[in-house]
Amino acid sequence: MPELRRRFEDLFVGYEIPAHAAHILRQQIKTYADASGDQNPLHQDDDFARAVGFPGIIAHGMLTMGELAHCLTDWLGDPAALVRLKVQFRAPVFVDDSIVAEGRVKSLDPKARTAVLDVWVSVERDGITEYPIRKGEAVVGFAEP
Amino acid sequence: MTMNAALEGKVYPDATFTVEPDRVKLFRAALGEEWDIVPPTFATAAEFAAFPFIVGDAELGLHFARVVHAEQEYEWHRPFRLGEALTVRSRIASIRQKAGNGFLTIETELLDRDGELVVLARATMIERGA
Repeated sequence: MPELRRRFEDLFVGYEIPAHAAHILRQQIKTYADASGDQNPLHQDDDFARAVGFPGIIAHGMLTMGELAHCLTDWLGDPAALVRLKVQFRAPVFVDDSIVAEGRVKSLDPKARTAVLDVWVSVERDGITEYPIRKGEAVVGFAEP
Repeated sequence: MTMNAALEGKVYPDATFTVEPDRVKLFRAALGEEWDIVPPTFATAAEFAAFPFIVGDAELGLHFARVVHAEQEYEWHRPFRLGEALTVRSRIASIRQKAGNGFLTIETELLDRDGELVVLARATMIERGA
């Protein structure tokens, strides 16, 4: 839940948004499949996932992107302020992974009252950090004060 | 068998998708979202309304069992409104072959009843080589 509505004036290049953590459970992946309509067996059937080279089911890339957007909207305090989000899916997320979504302001346009952020999602397993989303980009826009 | 690259630009039939409150609630639950909003990435659920056209397109010849989601982009023009009906219009933006894999980019417009663009979605999928 957001604490307040962010203002363009609060931002500066290098500003880091609060991290958002999510522990991914099997039930959550099933709920996401039903909510999104993506019933690909890769996200529900361990045997199917193993047959295509994974140790077990993986979360939908869009679930990971959804948690990243959740991070941004919580920080923004206004879902309408999220204008654009672009990501590449670079590594799988497994059941029981704890993912962390983060972002940092890369540039500001005071005239348009928009900011571009680098955004990413990481997961740590056995001391090794992987990036299910490494170099995502978000554009956020703010109304006149 | 690779995807038929001649289909670049193909526009699929319009689908309709309603922003149903119960579906939004389920989507919020999946993302642990406690705030009473329509999450911006709820657009994904709307994109899937047109997905059967693409997966079932015999001309395209996509092998869905070999598909992984590689990239996703959204441009939001305004937030969703609970209960509104949207038109879902997907087109093949590009088909590429690279290092034995196929890359399919689908652009989907979500339009409101006035024909105004609500969200533009761009999804790139990799069809891994057999």
